[in-house]
Amino acid sequence: MKNNVKITRIKNSMTQEQLARQVGVTRQTIGLIEKGEYNPSLQLCINLAKSLNKTLDELFWEVDTQ
Amino acid sequence: MKSWISFLLPDDEYKEKKMLYFFTEGAIILFLSLIVMMICNKFFNLDTETVLLAAIAIFLFYVTGRYILAGMEYTDIATKHAYKKELRVICIRTIGFVIIFMALYLIFINIPSSLNNWVEILGLLISVSVVSFLSSYISLKRSYKKNKELL
Repeated sequence: MKNNVKITRIKNSMTQEQLARQVGVTRQTIGLIEKGEYNPSLQLCINLAKSLNKTLDELFWEVDTQ
Repeated sequence: MKSWISFLLPDDEYKEKKMLYFFTEGAIILFLSLIVMMICNKFFNLDTETVLLAAIAIFLFYVTGRYILAGMEYTDIATKHAYKKELRVICIRTIGFVIIFMALYLIFINIPSSLNNWVEILGLLISVSVVSFLSSYISLKRSYKKNKELL
């Protein structure tokens, strides 16, 4: 699943490790979510959105640009 | 989700999901192997102890093997420095295990009386240490490779 987690994290000057600690997962899990190789649970999506001060839409909603 | 298996699962949701897959795959392979052994038992006389041991080994080797190869044990190892540091920890842990095991064996069991007994105990100790070291090493290497790609 494509998402804006990586770009938002970088904009917030956070490392993968810091974000992982805030939401209670491992750094590997954050890396996998950013690469779109793992679809997080709704609870984890909410925790990520809260940590990054964004809405779920801003982080995970795919807009078709075609 | 509440289940009695929860105590065996990691807190991280990705690891938890993967482990559930490994346990399920292991259980299905175990089930199929038991059916195969049941059919084989019609043609050859299989010893009960062998069948039970094989069943346990199949499940344990499968789940452990998948866990090691998945590269999810060392989730924070993503730099060369951290990799080398962790490798040193694995080496020290293996050497520590050898020394402590040997010391406890000599103190509480007995000092091997013949060359054969020495070979037996050292052989066992070295085999266990090598398997333990190799499994940790492979897991570390796979984790490092996976984490590097995710940076």
